[in-house]
Amino acid sequence: MTDAALEIQRVEYAYRRDVALRGVSLRVDPGEIVAVTGPSGCGKSTLLHCAAGILRPQAGTVALAGRNLAELSEAERTRVRRTQAGIVLQFGQLVPDLSLQDNVALPLLLEGHDAAAARRAALGWLERVGVAADNEALPRELSGGQNQRAAVARALVTGPAVVFADEPTGSLDSRAGEQMMELLVSSAGDGGAALVIVTHDNLVAAYADREVRLRDGVVQHEVRLS
Amino acid sequence: MATAELVLGLLSAGPAHGYDVKRGHDSWFPDSRPLAFGQVYATLGRLERDELVEVVDRASEGGPERTVYALTPKGREHLSRWLTEPVEPTPGGVDEMVRKVVATIRTGEDASAYLARQRATYLHRIRELKSPAPEDDSSSWLVRDYVALHLDADLRWLDRALDRITEQKETSR
Repeated sequence: MTDAALEIQRVEYAYRRDVALRGVSLRVDPGEIVAVTGPSGCGKSTLLHCAAGILRPQAGTVALAGRNLAELSEAERTRVRRTQAGIVLQFGQLVPDLSLQDNVALPLLLEGHDAAAARRAALGWLERVGVAADNEALPRELSGGQNQRAAVARALVTGPAVVFADEPTGSLDSRAGEQMMELLVSSAGDGGAALVIVTHDNLVAAYADREVRLRDGVVQHEVRLS
Repeated sequence: MATAELVLGLLSAGPAHGYDVKRGHDSWFPDSRPLAFGQVYATLGRLERDELVEVVDRASEGGPERTVYALTPKGREHLSRWLTEPVEPTPGGVDEMVRKVVATIRTGEDASAYLARQRATYLHRIRELKSPAPEDDSSSWLVRDYVALHLDADLRWLDRALDRITEQKETSR
């Protein structure tokens, strides 16, 4: 069996008094698109943060591209997270003082890539997502949709095993949201990345190969859509 | 369904025979059931009787006779009026899915499993609607969006049903 892009086993997570995840397992194959859905407060964003290595689960394991995050040193863990997990959040969350191109080049620069090569790769991805003409613009000079496109480029520039998207269309109107999803799905496909989308929007979930629905921190059901 | 008015609409661009009307309808509504030939000719017959369309040619060109129909001024007026009238919301009919969910709960079957399967079926259909054939034009997108958004409304109802059933199970424990 090939390595899963992401393998989560019996993950538990609690914030102070609130238990968010009560033993969730999820395997995502390379290139697969999975929608994690459920009512607000069901634990879906917490699951995404644990899966992407942003939160450390209190129990259970997370393996990204075959590397068990709990067994890695802090430095290795950061490196795996930075190179194997691309993240797209609701509002793009680009660095406000950097141009689009520098925002997209940033993950490569942090990995010690040569600056010129990093900027070239960034421009390539900006072209792919349709905002190369605005490569020198600052995020605040552009629309929410354009920022989201750059965020997709930033998520894919390191060639990650998985792109995690948390309500990626939440700040966009319905037509822009649709274009965003088409871009996200096709870009992840081009980059060979699996895609894990956290959403409460059925029209977004319908893009997935599989839906995993959470309720109160457990998997309520899992259905195949493709 | 307002087949008569749609046929008038299909003739508004110029005279056509029954086959053209059928093809036109099926391209306007690629996701709907195709219009049957029998229905096209029966509708054209009624419209002719009511003087909303008229026969302008009976071409045969060696093959079977083809009757060509055109809108009459009365037909054009009828069409314009129909296009300006808003549609009343349909009275709250309960569709088969709702009946099935209620029956599943009442008979003590596993409603959560049924709802999950129903959800998958609807999401799958939305997925199909989002990957149309390349030759589709903008008007077929309008119909696809309409269907997808209605399925979304049904899905939200299903979510709510699923939540209520789960809550009931939890409180009765």
